[in-house]
Amino acid sequence: MSALLKDLYRSIFRGDPPSTDKGKSELVFYNVWLHIHPAKVRKEHLKVGHTLYLGFISFFLFLILVVTGVALMLYYHPHPAKAYQDMKDLQFVVFLGPFLRNMHRWAAHAMVLFVFLHMCRVFYTGSYKAPRQFNWVVGVWLLLLTLGLSFTGYLLPWDQLAYWAITVGTNIAAYAPLAGPQIRILLLGGHSIGDQALLRFYVLHVCILPALVIALTMVHFWRIRKDGGLSRPLWKLDADSAPQGEPPRPGPASAEKTYGLMEVVTGKPLFEVLTPAEEEDLVFSYPYAFFREGVAFLLTVAATMVVSLVWNAPLEEIANPAKTPNPAKAPWYFLGLQEMVSHSAFLGGVLVPTLMVLALLALPYLDRNPSRRHADRRLVLWAFTVFAIANIVLILIGTFFRGAGWALVWPWAATAGGHG
Amino acid sequence: MDRRSFLTLTTAGAAGLLASGGALLGSAVRFLFPSVYYEPPQKFKVGYAKDFPIGIPTFLPQEKIYIFRDEAKGFSAASAVCTHLGCTVQWFANDQRFHCPCHGSVFSADGAVVHGPAPKPLQWIEVTLAKDGQLQVDKNRSVADSYHLILPS
Repeated sequence: MSALLKDLYRSIFRGDPPSTDKGKSELVFYNVWLHIHPAKVRKEHLKVGHTLYLGFISFFLFLILVVTGVALMLYYHPHPAKAYQDMKDLQFVVFLGPFLRNMHRWAAHAMVLFVFLHMCRVFYTGSYKAPRQFNWVVGVWLLLLTLGLSFTGYLLPWDQLAYWAITVGTNIAAYAPLAGPQIRILLLGGHSIGDQALLRFYVLHVCILPALVIALTMVHFWRIRKDGGLSRPLWKLDADSAPQGEPPRPGPASAEKTYGLMEVVTGKPLFEVLTPAEEEDLVFSYPYAFFREGVAFLLTVAATMVVSLVWNAPLEEIANPAKTPNPAKAPWYFLGLQEMVSHSAFLGGVLVPTLMVLALLALPYLDRNPSRRHADRRLVLWAFTVFAIANIVLILIGTFFRGAGWALVWPWAATAGGHG
Repeated sequence: MDRRSFLTLTTAGAAGLLASGGALLGSAVRFLFPSVYYEPPQKFKVGYAKDFPIGIPTFLPQEKIYIFRDEAKGFSAASAVCTHLGCTVQWFANDQRFHCPCHGSVFSADGAVVHGPAPKPLQWIEVTLAKDGQLQVDKNRSVADSYHLILPS
């Protein structure tokens, strides 16, 4: 019997026990989930000061959103006649309903924030530069998908915020050149906002957009490994002037030797010889990297739970097509956009956002300066900082300086929107 | 197989593949547009003339329209949907103007844009008299802001 159990265990966990160096390597090497890391990673990459773990936190928030989102789906009907009632059930009837809904909402807000902060970190450390240009592009798409998931998500409760956000959002789409009105019909499944529209946004929210996020996240993680791991911290650039994480390029082949597939692909000998100094720079991924990521995960979950215990997710009155709330404010991350469309729907809602996205997508290809040192990047640092601050200022104006009728007011006179 | 027939077959095959792909894509796009829209009618009756007060616009929330009744000029109807991004404009009696709560557009009593981001005046729609004596509105029929329905007294 014990031999049978031992067989079973050995069939699942093949490596040596992780108390040995070989076991530590095999644990990572033989595990489909853990081999996202190499067996050994650079010590400097584990430093909180390099990445602030912002990408990890964004990913962990996404995991929280998937788990709580699937739970919420069990008590939600995507139909205008039922959706708001389901919200009330989640608030007052369903066991853990308020807690799960709070977690889902606050994790969603946090994800928008952390994806943005992650983008800023990658920018300020110059980590989008060769060979990582394409991974930046993937990241920009993930930011857009995060915003898309947020937008489709807060429509589902079918409260006043939901109804008027669909109204405004789909009308912005209608300003798109050429096919604008058709895009609006496509999104709404009709000409007016009703059950078809709610169903479409529901399918986008629980199926299409998450599938795209998962697919792109896999590419995003894979590319980190293929682009030579994380970029080296800026403080290491000054310490040694070695090439910065260039992807391995195939070297000249020798006619004297037969090459293995790995050698052909990577251009490096199968068994690399590291200098003692290089060896000194590495630590085993297990336990060092996984432990730190585990801590980041637990802190993310714990923080989301604490926030969810203290603050309730907002819910407005049931959708009322007859009455637009005054002021009708979007959640904070769209108030910059709302501020812009309050000046011009086409310029602020279509042209400027499109140009901003194009600029972000093109950034790693336009910025051809190979140096990651801040002293060499004055212009682009300045440009991005202006971009980031402009977005933040627009959001602050929309949040604190706009009152009834979208009139400019002092913060103490503004109705803070209440959309949290 | 000779060279000529090989190339002909390859070209035909490639064209066929391309055409099928195009047809598939077209069908997919067409699939996303519903064949039937189960939506409220755009042409509807709004009640009898005597029910509408003179001077104050009457808001019909379900239909999102305002009905105006002027002593001399008769009846007219305007869509309450803001031409900017579709929020519902509100009539303010104190300044005799329509205000949009979403982005601050303001329209005068004749629907013209006073200020704000709205690109067009409010849409005026046709009011007619139905056979049963009720007023009838057709949202699909735009009219000039000078349009009025004058009932024979």
